[in-house]
Amino acid sequence: MIISYNWLKEYFEFDISPDDVAERLTHTGLEVESIHAFESVKGGLTGLTIGLVTAVEKHPDADKLSVTKVSVGKGEDLQIVCGATNVQAGQKVVVAQHGDLLYPFSGEPFKIKKTKIRGIASEGMICAEDEIGWSNNHDGIMVLDPQAPLGSPVREYLKVLNDNVIEIGLTPNRGDAMSHIGTARDLVSALSVLHSRNIPLRIPSVDSFAVAAHTHPVEVTVESAEGCSRFSGCTITGIDVKESPEWLKNRLSVIGLRSINNIVDIANFVMHECGQPLHTYDLSAVEGRSIVVKTLPNDTPFTTLDDKQIKLRDTDLMVCCRDGINVEPIPMCIAGVYGGLHSGVNATTTDIYLEAACWNPKWIRKTASFHNLRTDAAMRFEKGVDPNGNIYALKRAAMLIVELAGGTISSEINDIYPLPVKPRQISLTWEKLNRIAGINISPQTAKDILQSLSFEILSDTGVEVIVAAPTAKSDVMRSEDVIEEILRIYGYDKIPVPEALRSSLSFSIDDRKERLTEELSQQLAAIGFREMMNNSISNSKYHHTLLANSKDLPVQLLSYSNTGLDSLRTSMLFPAMEVIQYNHNRKQHDLKLFEFGKTYAKANGQYTESASLALLLTGSLSKESWAVKEQPADTFFLKGVMEGIFKKCGIRKYAAKLFSDETWQEAVTWSIGNTELAIFGKVNQKVTSYFDVKGNVYYAAIDVDAIMKHAANTAKFTALQKFPSVRRDLALVIDEVVSFQEIEQIAYAHSGSLLKEVNLFDVYADEKLGAGKKSYAVSFLLRDEQKTLTDADIDKVMDQVVQQFQSKLNAHIRK
Amino acid sequence: MAFFVAQNFFMATALFDRATNIASELEQATIADAAALELFRIRYLGSKNIIKDLFAEMKLVPNERKKEFGQVVNALKQQAEEKYEIFKQALSLSDTGTKQQSQDLTMPGFPVPLGSRHPVSVIRKKVIDIFGRIGFQVAEGPEIEDEWHNFTALNIPEDHPARDMTDSFYIEMPGVILRSQTSNVQIRVMETQKPPIRIIAPGRVYRNETITYKHHVFFHQLEGLYVDKNVSFADLKQTMYYFFKEFFGDAFEWRFRPSFFPFTEVSAELDIRKKGTTQWMEILGCGMVHPKVLENCNIDPEVYSGYAWGMGIERLVLLKYGIPDIRLLTENDVRFLEQFEAAW
Repeated sequence: MIISYNWLKEYFEFDISPDDVAERLTHTGLEVESIHAFESVKGGLTGLTIGLVTAVEKHPDADKLSVTKVSVGKGEDLQIVCGATNVQAGQKVVVAQHGDLLYPFSGEPFKIKKTKIRGIASEGMICAEDEIGWSNNHDGIMVLDPQAPLGSPVREYLKVLNDNVIEIGLTPNRGDAMSHIGTARDLVSALSVLHSRNIPLRIPSVDSFAVAAHTHPVEVTVESAEGCSRFSGCTITGIDVKESPEWLKNRLSVIGLRSINNIVDIANFVMHECGQPLHTYDLSAVEGRSIVVKTLPNDTPFTTLDDKQIKLRDTDLMVCCRDGINVEPIPMCIAGVYGGLHSGVNATTTDIYLEAACWNPKWIRKTASFHNLRTDAAMRFEKGVDPNGNIYALKRAAMLIVELAGGTISSEINDIYPLPVKPRQISLTWEKLNRIAGINISPQTAKDILQSLSFEILSDTGVEVIVAAPTAKSDVMRSEDVIEEILRIYGYDKIPVPEALRSSLSFSIDDRKERLTEELSQQLAAIGFREMMNNSISNSKYHHTLLANSKDLPVQLLSYSNTGLDSLRTSMLFPAMEVIQYNHNRKQHDLKLFEFGKTYAKANGQYTESASLALLLTGSLSKESWAVKEQPADTFFLKGVMEGIFKKCGIRKYAAKLFSDETWQEAVTWSIGNTELAIFGKVNQKVTSYFDVKGNVYYAAIDVDAIMKHAANTAKFTALQKFPSVRRDLALVIDEVVSFQEIEQIAYAHSGSLLKEVNLFDVYADEKLGAGKKSYAVSFLLRDEQKTLTDADIDKVMDQVVQQFQSKLNAHIRK
Repeated sequence: MAFFVAQNFFMATALFDRATNIASELEQATIADAAALELFRIRYLGSKNIIKDLFAEMKLVPNERKKEFGQVVNALKQQAEEKYEIFKQALSLSDTGTKQQSQDLTMPGFPVPLGSRHPVSVIRKKVIDIFGRIGFQVAEGPEIEDEWHNFTALNIPEDHPARDMTDSFYIEMPGVILRSQTSNVQIRVMETQKPPIRIIAPGRVYRNETITYKHHVFFHQLEGLYVDKNVSFADLKQTMYYFFKEFFGDAFEWRFRPSFFPFTEVSAELDIRKKGTTQWMEILGCGMVHPKVLENCNIDPEVYSGYAWGMGIERLVLLKYGIPDIRLLTENDVRFLEQFEAAW
């Protein structure tokens, strides 16, 4: 909403700068988004002086130039070289002197300097209209009236309009402030509190409104009381539609409205003054001088003011005229939204019907948005106008019309108002005010504030006050709303910040997940992973193409604004693949990324959200360096990372299973019972090539919800070992198909409690070992908690284990 | 014979004196550079050195003193070797660049990997910590939510534009949406928990927007709620001031001004700006919990009062790190992500 500073000041008497107005308004809840100086001419013609040309001579070295002497009323005459052919001695002209900044009609501003033109000194410039931004006219210099006062500022002589444009971001509850008076009401109320004195709001009086004749009555019927809570209007005849006076044009131009004619301008002016939209009809178009407010059948054609044909819907409320009861009504105006072409006021109009109505905000919203007619009037009706404010607006506009366009008010005011809205009575205890505010506000201050906001104090027992809320504030319904009114005028900035902290003993909600997420994130970041953040809204085609066999379905959005973003992700893999693609396209191949996020699915008519941790690896594992051999990403690195994560979670025992399908080329799942906790491995080429990603992608998905069920903060002290451990190494030549896990299991199964650790420290394959063979170098760590192991103890265990390796795995022990 | 003995005696004394002299020479020796060190080596430890020379005179020492002399010379040799090692080390320390046998420690270190946290996580944690210090506990709620928890219970009227399909994401099941705000957690907590309630709820929210440099279809909010007896607007202002000070510090100033939200009555917004600049930036909305919202959760507004706030994490992130385009946060360009190695 745009407010003119000069206009606003019409409604109170208090000296306050535009910046202070802006600050105070913001603190009352009318947030000033911007404030800037308004000048009817750019730069405001600042510095320019009215001069008198006292002499003109030809320039000695240039045919088209003249050397002039110009008086500016004081000091010696200036010598100015001028190129205009119309310059003559005795003219009053606009003079720009050294240092003046000119804002030409087009182009950048420029500064006037003393200079020499073709060898002759020139101390300024005699200006043309376009050079000072007055118009685009460049037909010679601007010649002023001979009576123009010599030496005076041009800006005063040409009556340059100076104002400040205040732009307010109005919250939806403040329909009451959508006008200059509404804004001024908050401002004077706040200023009164701030300066502890009563600054009255001066609202123009309409007491002298009088109906001069009853010659042109109009009959009004409202068929839809739900859509129209109040309809008021009157006729004014014998008017002269013409240009508006300067003051009215200025008022409108500051708030960005173009002047049309005096009648339209007055309607706009009154709307911006008091917030009530008005509509004017050419009375000659009101057939039968009978108005009927009703809806019309679907697809009834209507021509709007801007000559567009639209088809009405049967929910659009229309102001129609009807010449006789059995005649089809003729639509004149979309109620509260937009006028019609054939009933509007034009240059030949002499008689008008002036309407000030109150429409149902919901009806207006529907109609305005369906027909995309977001007019100023519609916007106001949507926010709600004061049902008891329209008569004031009607009288104010009628009086202005009579004043500026002549004419006679020639009917009584029609006022269809079947269910008058009464001020709401609200009770507030002073105890509650102070309890909610947290400070002590005296009852007198509170009452002063409320009264200045047009609340009526009905009673005050000293404990409880009963107020009547102004009908303009339809959202003020209960005591909390009244408290807000008091506090915002009192000023939130005046409420001190308490020094002591108020808190309550409240016990922690389970924060294990939050903490573990943080710990794991730090752990991953510390070993080189970068945390990414992907959109949870994704393209369902990924799921349908790559997870076609899944029993889950994506959660589909009914409407969406970005092509392709049509559903929630069912897997963290697809957004991750997009990230790989994005980075690979930028030659960033070495990726170690992770993300904590959710996946979403629809299964059996239920929507689920599951917390997940995704890891991905591509390219090389470490930066190229002299110190370390380049190592490509692989499943084993990922496995090591996963083991670290599980260790951190305190999960020691889980079953591993090898797995492959259309997503995974080779993967491992880790589960406990039937719950799969994690899966990791190499992504199937079907997926990578779908995303046009070259090279291997290693990926892990951890079910965070499942992990949380098993994660345990298990750290617990156990006594440090008293007896030394002994290590034995074996080089086992085995078939390629034998797994380390088998070796490990056999070792533990046949070594009693002495075996503490089995580790694989070298892997080797060579033709010399025989076809299909490999060599595993395995270390065994043995320890007895009760005594130092002897060679005999160890040999006994190792012999057993070796025998098992030989018999079960057909292993050959290399010596 | 006596003369001969005496001569041998004197010879022996002179040899012992020579040893003493060499010892004190070694004691006082200093070297300035590698050349001096080399001269030292030649003189005392070279193939023909003065200690060897001395040893060669052994035949002149009477038999009964030969053992003693041997010990003295050996001690000299040891002294010279020790001295030489000390000199050598001192020289290599002061002179790493020119000594070939020392390491080039200007070479880059072992490439120990370092990752990074996402800036949204960093700021989210920072904000949680700030409120955690004054007793707010983290609560969670679903992202796929019903209209009751996202709108109706929050006093957002049926015809509010936020409820439009063009503003919020609806899914197939009627009345179910992707939450447009974390305020649903307020409702869920108040429905299941009796006051006092003192929670913060960080999480993802969704808006049906066209993605541009300043809008995205999802972002993170952090919601806060405190409900108990006698909770006041001044308490709210205090909490907001505390957050502002903790997060932004002394380089910023704040403004606490009236605003409007359907779910708070006595509503406010917190704006900040860098001292010395003119443009205010809106950081969060807050207010006293609307009595209807309390009633919707079966909490008596005549007994209890509370305050709530909501803020966008991304807004804080963009501001804090000077990121001009919200899309950078989700592109996951590693050149972007690695800029946050030092974010904490």
